[in-house]
This record gives sequence, C-alpha cells and structure tokens, in this order.
Amino acid sequence: MVSAIFIIAAGLGAAFLLGLLKEDQKASAFAITVAALGFMSWVAYDWAVALTTGRAAPVDILTAGAEPPFAINLRMGVAEAWLATVIGVTGLVSAFYLRPALMRLGRRAMAVLLVMTMALTGLVLTRDIFNLFVFFELVVIATGGLVLLSDDERAVAAGFKYLVVSQIISLLLLIGIIFTYHANGSLNIDDIAATPMMFTGAGLAIFLVLIALMLELKPFPANGWALDIYEAAHPGFAAIFSAASGTAALYAADKIFAAAGPDWLPLATVLGLLSFLGSGVLALKQTNDRRLLGYSSIGQIGFVLAVVGQRDILGESYLYIAGGILITHAVAKAGLYWLSGLVKGRGLDDWAVLRANPLLVFAFASFVAMLVGLPPFPGFYAKWDLMHALAGSDRLVVLGLILLGALIEAGYMFRWFGYALKREVREAFPGFATDKTAVVLVALAAGWALGFVWGAASANPNLLTALPILFALAFLVLEPLPAWAKNILAIAGLVGWFVWRYPGYDPLQMIFAVVMILGGAVILLASFYEKGRRIGFYPPTMLMYAGLALLIEAQTSFEFFAAWEVLTIGSYFLILRGRMGEPHALSYILFSLGGAFAILAGFAVASMGVQPFALDNLKALAEAAVPSAPWVFVLLAVGFMTKTASIGLHIWLPGAHAEAETDVSPMVSGILLKAGLFGLFILLMNMGHQHLWGVDLTEVLVWIGALSAFLGALMAIFQEDAKRLLAYSSISQLGYALFGLALMNHVGWLLAMMFVINHYIYKSMLFLAVGGVYKRTHTKLMYKMGGLITLMPFTFVSVLVGIIAMSGVPPLSGFGGRWLFYNAIMASDLRLPMVLIFMSGPIAFLYLFRLIHTIFLGQLKDEHRRLKEAPFWLVVPQMIFVLALLAFAVLPGMALQKVDGYIGSFFGDEPLIWSGRAITSTFGHWNPVAIMGVIGVVFVTVLALLLWMNHNAQKVKQFNIVFSAERPFKPQTTHFAWNFFAPYRKAMGFLVMPLVTTFWGAITDSLHSTADFTRRFYTGNGQTYAVQVLFFVVATYLIAMGGAS
Amino acid sequence: MLPTIAMATGFALILMGLYGALTHRNILRMILGFTIASTGVNVVLVSVGYMPGRTAPIMDSAVPVADAAARVIDPVPQALVLTAIVIGLGVTALMLAYAYRLFRIRHSLDISKFTELKW
Amino acid sequence: MTTKFTTRSFVALVLLALLGVAFWTLAAGYTPDAELNRTAAYYAENTARETGAQNIVTAIIVTYRGLDTLGEVTVLFLTAAIVALVLGQSKAPRGGSGSGFLPSGELLQTGTKMLLPIIMLFGAYVFVNGHLTPGGGFQGGAILASGILLLLLAEPKRRFGHALISRVESVSGLVYVLIGIAGIVLAGGFLDNRILPLGTFGALLSAGAIPLIYTLIGLKVGAEFSSILESLEETEDA
Repeated sequence: MVSAIFIIAAGLGAAFLLGLLKEDQKASAFAITVAALGFMSWVAYDWAVALTTGRAAPVDILTAGAEPPFAINLRMGVAEAWLATVIGVTGLVSAFYLRPALMRLGRRAMAVLLVMTMALTGLVLTRDIFNLFVFFELVVIATGGLVLLSDDERAVAAGFKYLVVSQIISLLLLIGIIFTYHANGSLNIDDIAATPMMFTGAGLAIFLVLIALMLELKPFPANGWALDIYEAAHPGFAAIFSAASGTAALYAADKIFAAAGPDWLPLATVLGLLSFLGSGVLALKQTNDRRLLGYSSIGQIGFVLAVVGQRDILGESYLYIAGGILITHAVAKAGLYWLSGLVKGRGLDDWAVLRANPLLVFAFASFVAMLVGLPPFPGFYAKWDLMHALAGSDRLVVLGLILLGALIEAGYMFRWFGYALKREVREAFPGFATDKTAVVLVALAAGWALGFVWGAASANPNLLTALPILFALAFLVLEPLPAWAKNILAIAGLVGWFVWRYPGYDPLQMIFAVVMILGGAVILLASFYEKGRRIGFYPPTMLMYAGLALLIEAQTSFEFFAAWEVLTIGSYFLILRGRMGEPHALSYILFSLGGAFAILAGFAVASMGVQPFALDNLKALAEAAVPSAPWVFVLLAVGFMTKTASIGLHIWLPGAHAEAETDVSPMVSGILLKAGLFGLFILLMNMGHQHLWGVDLTEVLVWIGALSAFLGALMAIFQEDAKRLLAYSSISQLGYALFGLALMNHVGWLLAMMFVINHYIYKSMLFLAVGGVYKRTHTKLMYKMGGLITLMPFTFVSVLVGIIAMSGVPPLSGFGGRWLFYNAIMASDLRLPMVLIFMSGPIAFLYLFRLIHTIFLGQLKDEHRRLKEAPFWLVVPQMIFVLALLAFAVLPGMALQKVDGYIGSFFGDEPLIWSGRAITSTFGHWNPVAIMGVIGVVFVTVLALLLWMNHNAQKVKQFNIVFSAERPFKPQTTHFAWNFFAPYRKAMGFLVMPLVTTFWGAITDSLHSTADFTRRFYTGNGQTYAVQVLFFVVATYLIAMGGAS
Repeated sequence: MLPTIAMATGFALILMGLYGALTHRNILRMILGFTIASTGVNVVLVSVGYMPGRTAPIMDSAVPVADAAARVIDPVPQALVLTAIVIGLGVTALMLAYAYRLFRIRHSLDISKFTELKW
Repeated sequence: MTTKFTTRSFVALVLLALLGVAFWTLAAGYTPDAELNRTAAYYAENTARETGAQNIVTAIIVTYRGLDTLGEVTVLFLTAAIVALVLGQSKAPRGGSGSGFLPSGELLQTGTKMLLPIIMLFGAYVFVNGHLTPGGGFQGGAILASGILLLLLAEPKRRFGHALISRVESVSGLVYVLIGIAGIVLAGGFLDNRILPLGTFGALLSAGAIPLIYTLIGLKVGAEFSSILESLEETEDA
C-alpha cells in the first residue's frame, strides 16, 4: 500500500518536473501529466478498495515526524479514499478530454491541472484547518488558470468574478481560522471542541469558518460567479469544477461540521435546502445547457449539504447515504459536461444531435436517472435510506422539501432529455470525436458500476441482480439484432417467467400476472409488424415488464417501490417514443415521480424508519390505529392514483396514450394502469377503512372513482381523435375499478378484479384496432374516415366486440361487470356517487358508438378506396382478444370463482353462489350462457329484419350539405361526424372545462415566472456578485443569531 | 491594549478595503481594495499571537532554550501570516494578469462592462 | 472617476457595518492568552531539541507546518505559470513589446551594476540564515527578485533566459519534494528535517535540512517572482 502522501508528492513533483521540459516537448509533458494523474488515482483507488473490504484500517499520516496537532497530519479513511478516487479519476479522464486544449497551451496548463487535482485531494485528506485554507487557495488559483482553457472569451470575465468572490471567502476563512485557533489552542480539526451555536468568541469564529466553506459550495443565491464559470469554461474543466471541486469542498465543510457539533447542523440543513430548491426553480428557465448543468450542480451539492445537516440522525449509514448522492452526482455531472463538449450548439434542443449515436443517448438517459435518484443508481438507495431516517426522526418537513426539490430537478432534466430525443437536428452533423466519446462512456460505465456497488452494499436487495431487470438490460446489448428476433426473445422471456413463477402466486397475484405478463406477451405479437432494428424499443419495454413482474412479487416496501420506479422509467421511455410524445411523456414522468415520491414518503412514515418493512405490516399499522396511519393511507393512495389517472391526477394520460406508438398504446393503457390498481388492492387489503378528521377515506376514494368514471366518459364523448377517445375512456374505466375497490365489500372487489381483466382485453383490442386503422389511413381523426367496414372487416369485428364488451350490454363480459356492479352498489349505502356511476354507463355508450358509426359505417372517403385490412400482426392479437372475450363472457367463473373465494377470506362472507355456469346473488341471478343464447336470437332476428329493409335504402353523399353555396372556412364542419355531440356539449360542456389542466398549468407557470423574475438578480456584474455574497453572509449571520438566541 | 489596537486597525483595514472593492468600478481599484483588506487580515492574524511583555520567538542569547516557553510570544500566527501573505500576493498577481486580459478584450477596466454572462 | 454616493455605496456601507458588528464582537471578546497555548508551548519547548533551529517560526514553517509551506511555494509556482499563460495568450502586438520605453539612463544602469551583486548576496544571506535569525526563504527570494526587478528597470529591452529561470524553479521544486519524501524514508515523516544531522545549535550548518530547504525555497521564490515580473513586463505596450 502506498502512503497517501505520495498522491500529493506525485502531483507536485510531476508539476515541477514539467518545468524542466522544453516548451515544444508537449507530447512528453502530456505523458508525464497522465502518468502522474494515473498514479494518484491508483493510490487512492487502492486504498478505497482495501478500506472498504477491510483489508486495511484507516490511517493517520503524520508529517515532519511530530504528532498532531503540532504538525500537519492527513487522514486516509473510507470516505477520504473514495472521494480522492473520484477526484483523481476525474482529473485523469478530464486530462484526456482536455488534451487538445492542453497541447495548445503547453506544459504550464498541464502543471496547473496537476496542482488542481493534487490540491483537491489535499482538501479531502488534510486534518489541519489552516492547511485546508492553503489547499483551498491552491484550488482557487488553479481554477483561475484552468478557466482559461476555454475558447470562449467570456471565460476571462467569469474567472475574474470568481477571483473577486474568492478574496472575500478567504478573508472570512482566515479570520475564522485564527480565532478558532485562539479558542482551541490548536489548528487540528479534531481538536476543535464541539461549540454551541452562539455568536461570540469561539462560536462566531466557527461560524466564519463554516460560512466561508459553505460559500465555496456556491450556495443559492450567492452564486452568480460560479454559474458564469460553469457556462463559459471548457466543458472538460467544468466537469472537474462540478464533480471534483464540488465534492472536495463539500467534504471539507463536512469535516468542520463534524467537529463543530450538532448545534450547527441546522445551518447546513437550511442553507442546503435553500440551494437545492432555489437553483432547481431557477434552472427551469435556463436555455443554455452548461448553465443549466451549473444550476443542477449547485442544487445537488445543496442536497448533499442538507444531508450533512442530518448527520446526527443518520449514524452508521451517513457515509452510505451522503456518499451515494455525492458520488452519483459527481459521475453524472462530469458525464453530462463531457457530453456537452460533443454538442456544438448551446441550446438545450441542440442535444438532439446525440441521436446519431444511440450509445450516447443511453449515456444521457443514465446520467439523468442518476441525478434524479432513480434505480439502479446509488442515489436511489441513498434516498430511500435517507427518507426512512428522516421519517424515523420525525423530520417530515425536510423529507417533503427534499422530495419536492428532487421533483423539480426531474422536471427540467427530463424536459431536456425529451428535447434531445424528439427535437429536430438543426445542422448537419459532423460526427463525434472518438476520444471524447470514450471519455463519456467511462463515466457511463462508472455510473453503472457504482450502482452495482451501492446495491450490493445496501441492506435491501441489489436491483442489478434481479433477473427481470437483467433480462431487460440484456436487450441493450442485443440492440443490433433485427426487431423480430428481439421480439421472439421478449415474448419467450415473458411467457417463460410466467410459467416459472405462477405456481407460487395467490389468486390476486395470479390475475395481475396473467394480465401483465401473459397479456404483455400477447400485445407484443403486434410488434412483429415493425421492421428493421427498432432501436430503443425493447430495453424500455422489457424494463417496464420487469418492473411489473417484480411489483407483483414484492414482499417489502423497498421491493415494491423499486419495482414501481423501474416500471415508471421503462414506460416513460416508451411513451416518449410516440411521434408527438414529448410533452406528454414529460407530464407522465412528472406525475409518476410525484406519485412515486408520495409512495416513498408513505412507506417511510409507515415504517417509522425501521427497515425492512413488509407490506403486510401496513395491516398492523392500521390495527394499532397509529396516528400517522391515515396519512400513510393518503400518501399511498395519492401515489397509486397517479398511475390509475384518477380525476385530478389524470391530465398526463390522454396525450400519453393517444400519441404512443400503435403497439405501445395498449401496453401503457391495458397493462400499465393496472399497476396503480394493484397498489390500491394492496393498500385497501391491508389498511381498510381509515379516518381522517372524521372522514372515512375510502368514501373519498368512492367519490374520486365515481367522478373519474363520470367525467372521464363525458370528456371522451367530445373527442374527435379516436385514440384520445379511448384514452379518456380509460380514465372512466379505471374510475369504475377504483369505485368498486373503495366500496370495500366483497362484490365491489370482485368487480374491480373483473375490470382488471376486462379492461385489459377490450382496451388493448380497441387500441390495436384503431392503431391498425391509423396505419392505413394516417389519421386518427374520426370524421376523416368512414365506411371502412368492407375494407377492414377483421378490425371492424374486433371494434364491435370490444364495444359491446365495454359498454356493458349483454351478452359479453362487460355485462357481467355491470351486473356485479349493481350488486355491489346495492350492498353499499353510498347513493349519490352511485348515481354518477349509473349515468356514466349510457355516456360510455355514446362515445363507443361513435367508433363504429364514424369509422366503419357511412361513406367511404375517396382517398381511402384502396385501403387494405390492417397489418396481419396487428390483427392477430385482436382476434385472440375476441376469442378471450367470448370465452370470458361465457365462463366468467373460470377466473373469478377462485378470486371470489380469495376475497371471501378477507371479508368473511360469500354473497355469490356459483352453481355450474350461473351465479346467484341476493339481488338476482346471472346465467351467462343463457343470456348469450337469448341475445343471439334477438341479434339474428334484428339483423335479418335490417337486411330485408336494406333493399330500398337510398345512398347519400357525405359532403352535400354545403351552406348555401358558400365555401365553408373549415370543410370538416360540414361533416356530420364532426362535433357529433354538440347538443350535449351545450348542455354539459361546463363539466368538462379543463379545470384540472388549468390548475396544474398555473402551478408550473407560477414556478416559471418566479424563476424568470428571480434570475434577473444575477446581473452578471462581478461587483454585484461580491455584494450578494456579503449580503448572504450577513443575512445568515443575523438569522442564525436570531435562531440561536 | 496593544493587541486590541492592532486588531481594531486590522478590522478597520478589512472593512475599508472591502468598501473600496465593492464600490469602485475600476478593476484595478477593486484589486487595490482587496489588497488593503488582505493586509488587514494579516494584521489581525499577527495581533492574535501577541502577548504583552514577551519577545520574538527566536532562541538566542537573550532567550535561552530552557525558559523559551515563558518568554516568547505565540509563534504560530507568525508562521501562518507568512503563508497568508504569500498566498495573498499570488492571488493579487493573478488578478492583475486577469485585469490585463480583460483590458485587452474590451479596452476598458470597468467591471460593469463584463456582464455578457448572466441569469 | 466620480465619488458620487450611490445606492451601491449605501448597500455596501450597511453590509460592512453589519460585518463590522461581527468583527467587533470578535475583538471585544478577545483576551490575549497569559500563557502559551498547548501548541505554542510545545513548539517553545521542543523546537530546539527536535529541529535544532533557533528561530521557532522557521521551524514551524519549514518543518512542523512544512506541508503548508510546500503548498505556499506551489501557490507561487502556480501563479507564475498562470500569469505566463494569461499573458501569453494575449501578447502585445509583435515588435511592440518593450520598444516604447525611453532609455533608462546612465545613473540607473550603473547603479544596477553596482547594487545587483550586493542585493543577490543579501538575498542569499537572508535565506541561508533563516533558521537562526528573522528571515528565510520567502524573504530572501523576494530580495533576489527585487534584484531582477532592478535589472528589468535598467534594461527594459533585455530578455533574460526564461529557460534558466524556469529550470531553477523546477529543479528547486523537485528537490524540495524529494527531500520531503526522503523524510519519510530516513526520518519520521514527510518533510521531517532530521534527514541531516541537527548539528550544533546556533551554527550556520545546523537544524538538519532546514537551511537546505530554505535555500531551495529562496531560489524557487526568487525564480517565481522573477518569472511573474518578466511576464508582467512583457505586457507593456504603451
């Protein structure tokens, strides 16, 4: 093991050695630089591994042969080793990245880079407070030098502003240090006595040291200078400035906070959260990529500072949590800055050029996921543990604010990612520099490796060893294969998993597994239609299915939440693939993450910080009537309802489902929404009735369900776009299911269960049918179609059957649903929502009727005369669904009888009597086979009658109703099917006013205008920045003084 | 009394220097302001080590090794101040070089003219 | 430049007044120690025995806090390198450098010739005796550089070998680091001065590696200052 002092000696020695070279020996100079950086990284990494595996113990490195505090000492512990590794590797990799600039400027610039890396490492290692100052100043000066690597002339001004502010910081730091020395008689950090937060003597001295160190973290709002550097510097240096400098400065602050004692931690918490939220909001308005990354850096460092503020409650897991977030941030941010060097333009949408290399898109996605704290990256595990610790110590405000900050960050990062994937590439693309691309890929590999390490170190299961997730990730490697081969593999994987796992499932799991896993395989049949390689489709699809597969089997809250996040990520990428999917994917991911964070908070509060928390424990929580139980219920229910798109949280759904690709729409509609229902099942099964302020929360859910069913249906009838119509109808249908569940009686649950199956079948079928029509007609607007019945008979059949099933008329299974439904309602005494539900039945028929009537009946359009039936592979699953519907209609008992018994075990009753193929309840009797027979006879009679009457029908052309020879402004207004339900709109239109959309829109608008207003504060004047820094110090001083006294 | 006066002078210099740096728009004057402020810091540093009635921490014929502990002032701040001075000098030189660069870019030394980067 | 009283001045005044309150609190709460604190007392008692230096401050700078000093030297090294970079990137128009100077005059030139050797000698004296008397590498190096400054003033058009200066700078820096490492191998740790015998207390060649290190620092600081001065001088394009 090489002593850590050699990291410093090597850095310095190499820097001095460079001076001996001639000015033009640039290649040798570069070789020396890289060798030294490599050696420094290797020493640090060697220690990191040895310390983590317990092969070595932490050591104090003495200098000058004297004991501390009389001589300076360095410490190499686990945290120091890892951070030194991050710094060293960032320096090393950046050196390669900066190679052209370094070669241009020569050995001096390389020496500066070496000293920078050395000084940052020193900052991490040193245990002497004055030595800390020396290293800080080295970093400042080296930063001043490396800023000049940029080709951007504005960087000079940025560098000067930085130096101005650094002067103020070093002034405060020095005064703080000398008075700290006076108070403690030592400059060693370990000798700083825990000082109560007060503002005289030692307390004030420590305050000055701390505030100076926190200013180094570029806290919001005293950070205009740092943002300018981020924007103007060479991206290779910005990566160091963000990843390495930020990390080292944070650790320096952490050392002093540890010494200063718990009294000072609220300072870190408050300033950290302020930075996290403040720079998050301001980032919303940024259009320059590097400045945006700057805001994000500041925000993330603020987040970690807030975690530093929690070190008193985190105990053993402190390093795991803070380190996880810090290192993920370092890797991701360095990666993003390196990526930005590959992109020529500075606008956010200029990143669209990345699409030329799918690997880079994957890198971008991974970095975004790392920053937002999604699985399987360290930030995810860290956030999970952090939230539990916070909940366990009742720091709920901090918990909420951190989640809010993370959501805001997700907002602007995912918006940006959407631009990169969907915006047009504006300029000709020259190709990427190989060496820079390689550097980005190093960061990518590091990020995934860290994800594995953190997962392995976690007390919870390592997600990167979960088979379904590995299977999904394998598709990344398989991307070069043709789509059909991948499709076969995907289907085989789903079916194989089901066959392997189903013997262990209880009936509830079984139903969901059939729908989600087998159902997924059936829908994938339609994907055979796609030709080529279909890059970027299979990994997210399989990730979504992996999440669903794991969700069904989740035993603990962690497994559940991790699966939930995995399926959310997968489905986000799927939705983003849609042609106009960008805004909808964004609102989907935001609602989903918002919901996920609600779930996370709910689980954290429920567990009271104790892990692992089995899902069954929710029951104990409810039975013990813990005061927090209703809140847990609310948080979880809200989280699940973002997925079921219940009214109020529904606005992401119509666009997301309607704009998705043909085979994706059924996946995200027929399958994905069920994840929310599954969650609600688990929740209600365990927690049952919860009361908050005297209100039974399940009654609130009943109302939400009824309103969703009613308003969803109402909104559907006014749609012209067939896929949007189906999307709105999903809101309505899931409303039914929620309603049934929330009734909390046996039949209601059975009904919800039936909806899980039914809705999957007919919604998938209809989406595929409409998608097939779209493939042929290239439009989704119904009034532009007509008369397709003869051209697309199979599609017609599936739409017809789907509609019959869905509208709940006999003989298909929809009727069974209704029948159960009325039984359920009768068994409950909530009459008013019942009326709403009752009314949404006929409304559903109104919009469904349009599908048949407008698309398949009526006049054929001229341009559609040569259309063919929908592609074969789109029809295949539809026909399977038709058969399934018929079968399910005749034999509902097949699936439901077992479930019925299972549900009975919860409610302890048996309201339905299953005799052969008939079912009897207290309110009536249902024999599906008999009904089928009756309906068949009626249908044949009516059909014969119609055929007989048809011979004297008169044909009418469609566009023959022109207003008195005037050419209408919009031709479609003359089509009978346009605005078909205008009279209803007049009567009930006020009910579908986009109140909810307006509400969420107002929230984002106000955030944006706050951001736009606040950022004017960064005037760009270096002197103003200096005044702001001073103001920040004085304000913190006054506020903290007020808080301490 | 003496250390208090020195310390007060140091603090006063810091505030004066900062005032100059924060109000003058000319970059050279700002640099000068910071130089004054860092001189103030150095004065404060040495004033903390001062102890009345003692002598410089050099052990010669006047201060025998044996009772050095009772005769000399605190040597640590003196060592620190040397470092602080050198670092201050380094930063000042760097700022001057930057000032030159800035002047060549815009032919002006007015800090408020360098605001392309903002918001 | 007008000295108008603006909003900016007012805000600055208020902020500085509040900062002044904080400083005032510090100063008011300050009482000088009656006894040396434990760190200082350790140095007073053990410097002679452990390092053999008469000047306690020197012992602290070169040995006990040697890492700081190495950093300090690096600060100058870094500044010299960056100043050269900054100014190198925006050289004055070709041929303009230094050409606009008036001749410096007989008096200055002759004076320089007389004084330069004495200044150099004095500089060397100051850093070699750093462990015995007030003074040391930084002070001595600054004196050396002042000699160079005089030379620059006397003969503005003359270019000294950048190469020589940077070689001196690099070699002294490297040797400094190597001595530090020798401390790990031969004595108690990085930069321990006891790699050489401590010698007779008070003699010129005593205190282990301290005179050697201070000589290196003196050379290095002198070279760095000279390099900064030269870089700045080259910008003269008036």
